[in-house]
Amino acid sequence: MRHPNEATLALQAGGDLGTLARRRVERHLARCGRCREEVAAFQAVRELLPEMTAPREIHWNRLAAEMKANIRLGLAAGECVRPEPRALRDTPLFAGARAAVALASVLVLLIGGVVLERPAPRAEIAGVEGVEFQTTATGIQVREGGGTLRLLHGARDFRVQIGGRLRDVPAVTITPGAQGSMGAGYVDSETGIPTVTNVYYAD
Amino acid sequence: MRIKDRGPLIVLGFLSAASLLAQDIPLPSGSIKINLPEGSPLLIAGTVTDQSRATARGAAMVIDLDLLLQLRNVSGRQIHGVTLRVVSQEVTVGGYASVAYPSLHVGPGETFPARIDIELVRPTQAMSGSLVEVNLDGVLFQDLSFYGPDRLNSRRSMTAREMEAQRDREYFKRILAQAGQEGLKTAMLESLTRQAERPRLDVRVVRGGPAVTSAANPAAEHSAEFAFLKFPDSPVAPVSGYAQLAGNEARAPRIEVRNDSKEIVKWVEIGWLVRDQNGRRYMAASIPAGDPGLLLRPGGTARVLQDTALNFSKDGRPVNIQGMTGYVSQVQFADGRMWAPGRADLEKEYLLNLLPPSNEEQRLSDVYRKKGINALVEELKKY
Repeated sequence: MRHPNEATLALQAGGDLGTLARRRVERHLARCGRCREEVAAFQAVRELLPEMTAPREIHWNRLAAEMKANIRLGLAAGECVRPEPRALRDTPLFAGARAAVALASVLVLLIGGVVLERPAPRAEIAGVEGVEFQTTATGIQVREGGGTLRLLHGARDFRVQIGGRLRDVPAVTITPGAQGSMGAGYVDSETGIPTVTNVYYAD
Repeated sequence: MRIKDRGPLIVLGFLSAASLLAQDIPLPSGSIKINLPEGSPLLIAGTVTDQSRATARGAAMVIDLDLLLQLRNVSGRQIHGVTLRVVSQEVTVGGYASVAYPSLHVGPGETFPARIDIELVRPTQAMSGSLVEVNLDGVLFQDLSFYGPDRLNSRRSMTAREMEAQRDREYFKRILAQAGQEGLKTAMLESLTRQAERPRLDVRVVRGGPAVTSAANPAAEHSAEFAFLKFPDSPVAPVSGYAQLAGNEARAPRIEVRNDSKEIVKWVEIGWLVRDQNGRRYMAASIPAGDPGLLLRPGGTARVLQDTALNFSKDGRPVNIQGMTGYVSQVQFADGRMWAPGRADLEKEYLLNLLPPSNEEQRLSDVYRKKGINALVEELKKY
């Protein structure tokens, strides 16, 4: 006589076998005392641990999150074992029109950087004929050839209320000299000291 | 990694490369040399240069020298003015500068701050030795005595400023005495209004020929005559004067003056006003006597002339010159004494509205603006 295995007997004890398998096992148990004892033993254990007989509560949300994480992990693992990609310069992304666009962007960035960092007019460092005295927004200067000597103002224009009106008052007075000079007068905003600056040229 | 994921890194890399073109470079030691002669009434009590830096811009180098000196009066007299001479032969062979501190009241043993803020632009990046040399050119004391090499004629300019300072200080003190705090407040507001409304032009001065040919009318250069304002007590009177006008450019002013005093005159300066096509007048420039060896005897005449071109503009647009006016603004006698028009004369000729305020008037209005009328009254009571 061929006896059912332990797993089948355990499932029989729990009522978890399918209809045909259960009938077959029931016929065998009717003739086999040893297997009946085994099923009874399994049933006794289940009665001692009733929680084992109840189905476990399933957390579907947690299960879904775990499944997604496993899917991502699987994809990442797949990337790791993919063959090495080609070098950037060999990819079509860096060929033809795309390369031209990339180069143009680089040039725009470089030129933009230089222009932003050099607000002074280009003529300032280019050669100029003769000697020139000028005022700028920030000071007075003498230019000779490619060199410029500039004295910066130590004061800024201010606003003051006069007769109910806000008036803009220049903090610096400029005095050009027809002999070839430029002067500026102001009260230094840091030191409070009246200051007169001049630029000249000597042959 | 895909290229689009590397995009920010690529942009960052190129921005860094661009910023390298304008990189700060530490200034070599000894970039600034300060020389005070032995026996000088001033001593350097402290020096701050930590804001100074050099920046490469393309092929050029921009050097910012921010120098704050603490100068101590080690003489036994009160100092009323100091002039420092600034030279940078590494940048401009002939160009130089001065920084003067007028209207001072620095007693023996006291210190005062002197700030010099210079920007140098040079076409190459090579730097060696001292970039800037600061020398003492002169110290003016309360009694108008002077110390220093005076290579910039600081004695004359500081004496003139001291006289202006005394004139304007006396003016405001008189108002305080006659009209009280309210009167002084009104006078200060009038001063600030004048400073706000004073018509101003941008002037470019070019040595050795025309600045640029006037865009307005290049062929129309003509000789134009000066009109003159005359002050009754002026020791020197303007006789006649001409300059070449072309659109917004005036050049080569030539003015003949006569010594009406009984003393020898060694210096004359003419104030130059211009009028635009709308009839508005502006202070254009000062015309100092070109001859350093001038000795104008009583009754004698001399020419004040300069071979420069002045280019006038306002808000970036050329201002065509329609007329010119001159007046004697400074005279120095052979013994060093100075003459300048009084405040009443300037007011009578409406010059107060055109001329820049004196350093003392600027200082007093600054005290009023920042600290109020009581602080100004205290300030006027001090000296």
